[in-house]
Amino acid sequence: MIGPGRLEWLKHDLTNRGLTAWILSAVLFGFYMVLYFTDWLNPVAAALGLGHKWTLYGLLYTLAITLGGVYVIRKYRHNRYQVIRTVVVIVVQVMLAFSVPLLLKFFHQPEYYFSYLWPLKFEYLTPPVVFHMPLPFILYSFFGALVMAPLLAVFFGKRWYCSWVCGCGGLANTAGDPFRHLSSKSMASWRFEKIAIHTVLVVAVVLTALLFVSWGAGKQNPELARWSYQFQSAYGLIVGAVLSGIVGVGVYPIGGTRVWCRYFCPMAAMLGLVQKVGRYRITVKRNMCISCGLCSKYCEMGIDVRSYAQTNTSFTRASCVGCGICAEVCPRGVLRLENVTRRDPQELVQIEVAA
Amino acid sequence: MRYAIIGNGVAGVTAAFTLREREPKAEITLISGESDYFFSRTALMYALMDRMTLRDLEPYERNVYEKQKIRRVRDWVTDLDGAARRLRLRSKGEVAYDRLLIATGSRPNLFPWKGLDRIQSGLVHFVTLEDLQAVEKAIRPGGRAVVIGGGLIGVELVECLVHHGMQVTFLVLEDWYWPIAFGREEGEMVADHIRGHGVDLRVQEEAVEFHSNADGGVSHVETKAGSSYPCELLGIAVGVHPAVEWLRGVATPPRVEKGVVVSPDFRTSLEDVWAAGDCAEIRRDGEKPLIEQIWYSAKLQGEMAAKSMLGDRIDYRPPLFYNSSRFFEVDYTTVGAVNQAPEGAQSFYRRIPGKCASLRIVHHEGAVIGFNMLGSRWDHAWFEKWIAERRGLDYVLAHLHVAQFDAEFSRLKLEGVTA
Ligand SMILES: Cc1cc2nc3c(=O)[nH]c(=O)nc-3n(C[C@H](O)[C@H](O)[C@H](O)COP(=O)(O)OP(=O)(O)OC[C@H]3O[C@@H](n4cnc5c(N)ncnc54)[C@H](O)[C@@H]3O)c2cc1C
Ligand code: SF4
Ligand code: SF4
Repeated sequence: MIGPGRLEWLKHDLTNRGLTAWILSAVLFGFYMVLYFTDWLNPVAAALGLGHKWTLYGLLYTLAITLGGVYVIRKYRHNRYQVIRTVVVIVVQVMLAFSVPLLLKFFHQPEYYFSYLWPLKFEYLTPPVVFHMPLPFILYSFFGALVMAPLLAVFFGKRWYCSWVCGCGGLANTAGDPFRHLSSKSMASWRFEKIAIHTVLVVAVVLTALLFVSWGAGKQNPELARWSYQFQSAYGLIVGAVLSGIVGVGVYPIGGTRVWCRYFCPMAAMLGLVQKVGRYRITVKRNMCISCGLCSKYCEMGIDVRSYAQTNTSFTRASCVGCGICAEVCPRGVLRLENVTRRDPQELVQIEVAA
Repeated sequence: MRYAIIGNGVAGVTAAFTLREREPKAEITLISGESDYFFSRTALMYALMDRMTLRDLEPYERNVYEKQKIRRVRDWVTDLDGAARRLRLRSKGEVAYDRLLIATGSRPNLFPWKGLDRIQSGLVHFVTLEDLQAVEKAIRPGGRAVVIGGGLIGVELVECLVHHGMQVTFLVLEDWYWPIAFGREEGEMVADHIRGHGVDLRVQEEAVEFHSNADGGVSHVETKAGSSYPCELLGIAVGVHPAVEWLRGVATPPRVEKGVVVSPDFRTSLEDVWAAGDCAEIRRDGEKPLIEQIWYSAKLQGEMAAKSMLGDRIDYRPPLFYNSSRFFEVDYTTVGAVNQAPEGAQSFYRRIPGKCASLRIVHHEGAVIGFNMLGSRWDHAWFEKWIAERRGLDYVLAHLHVAQFDAEFSRLKLEGVTA
């Protein structure tokens, strides 16, 4: 039943695919079309003293995360996991994704985003880009993407990145929070997700390999260089602009917040595979679930958490970003995010009860 | 083999799935009057608060019944003929069975208060989908509501009414809130917490008479102490009883006392008829009759009854009691005997300063027997284990932290509390 008053009606309509939600979605789509395919925002940025449209966009994005973050911190204030996580998300956005790149530019250094790694930030392992950087940046690009990210995912799951660092996830978990329940929970979506996200990952890996090859053999083989350049532009347009920006954020009010993260992000795909063999999992308390479904409804990745909880199955799903909201909303305290590093208390009980 | 099940609640549906698992070929018919699909009754409040749609309350995708070849019939059963092994439905004809499970759940209690018969509108319960609609109709933001009955369903209803902007008076008969589960300290702490959400919670208030206005709408509630509480919505949440009324007039009624009487293998007095869940009253020679009316027991009983119908030898003993709940954001976990503890049992109780949180560990003859934990999360499996192992209080206090289940970084600090 919708709450009292016009404001509650608007809240309901906006977050339940009502007319206002469609309008907002259309506005977001329009904004991203303008941003990506026109220069109309350049004069606006200049008038505001921000130089370029991308700086303006960065500022807006940072504002959305900060204000949304304050809202989220208030909403979940009794849960320190949510509070700390959100503070980190805001700080990373304000510092690493906004201020530091500006400062770097100011000091005539390349504009480098330490919070983004390959394969999400595809260029960072693209030879012509990365090898033009100062040495520390080159080392960080390789080390971050190939060692640090997977290693941390082994110990903490993909959440260390997807829910604590990444700006895409950051926006989803702050300004996007009111829309998180709109993710599709159907089996069909799950099947599509598995195909789509791994396809993007494979394409990203193949393309990177191709770029290295053509970089090495480029001089002798201009055909290959041109061809891989076209491949890269197409990838940049489809994955970088259309899927991560226009679709990813545009459908927030209709399809939920993590459409990009769930179906298309190559970084999420890679870390998800690591997560499956790593130590992160969601532990389910035995026989305590009342099948209310809040966990499933509020899972932004469309995971049917209830189907695990009501059958007493602790689980690790590749797509789980470890946002912790399923555990937060569960009215019977059934769920808990864990990194099973030590032989955990919960582990022991299960062993002994089974024996 | 033709199996019929009356009631698509958690008991009936769990039974249907259990039967299907073991009997891929049998005919299974699931008959229920309230809804087309199984839904989580425990989550009614979230539908009322607009956090869930009714569809969200359904624990399984709808095509699961088709996949499992479970025939669903939406109708009320009005007659049971055990000799002919036949059910009559209100409007959809008859269903023949070889084995029958009655899992009709429970109905809200209503006592013969003075003035009850004159009330035409504004009086609501909170147990069924129909009740949900009635509550939605009766809610008026800014209006006054009275809720009677200091149990779990009552406080859930109160929370919903507050959410919808009603001014709620919550009348509790006993000396403190929810005395069958709480000691005085916890009862008062939780009551204060509920009051903190703007609820006018009154203890030791017994409603004696309801008044209505000219068109039969409820107008105020009078209590034994002489107070009068105006209201346009009156919520009655004074417990539930097994849904057995419909059985009294049938061709061959099974034995019914408070509930449908069954032996520990869930057989009723009728041949080839079983009963389980909220509606069943389990009787064992020389012991008190047992009626369990919580989700977990309904689920377990449904599974056990199905196994009994399949021919397994079942001798149901309820597991050690446990339950959990939430009062306006405050988590609650209980295991074992707390307020039903034997004479001479002692209680270790600590209030966590500064928040609505407390620990109570009941022990008797050197062993812990019960836990009541408020304001933090616990894995009850550990408590069950310690009770089974007859651990002493000192041991349990020293190991308490391993049972903590709070979110990361949110672990309740036990240092200094359990010393
Ligand atoms: C608001 C609320 C909150 C609750 N919260 C909790 C909680 O937090 N934890 C907990 O452990 N328990 C809780 N409970 C109790 C729990 O919901 C019940 O114990 C459980 O649902 C019982 O399941 P059941 O299958 O026995 O019966 P029910 O779920 O009641 O299902 C019985 C079904 O039988 C059908 N039926 C009845 N008579 C007939 C007939 N003559 N013909 C056809 N169909 C018929 C009805 O349609 C009904 O759907 C709560 C109950 C309520 C009302
Ligand atoms: S399963 Fe839980 S922690 Fe994982 S993404 Fe879904 S809501 Fe977040
Ligand atoms: S929110 Fe908790 S109680 Fe509800 S279905 Fe999920 S795990 Fe079960």
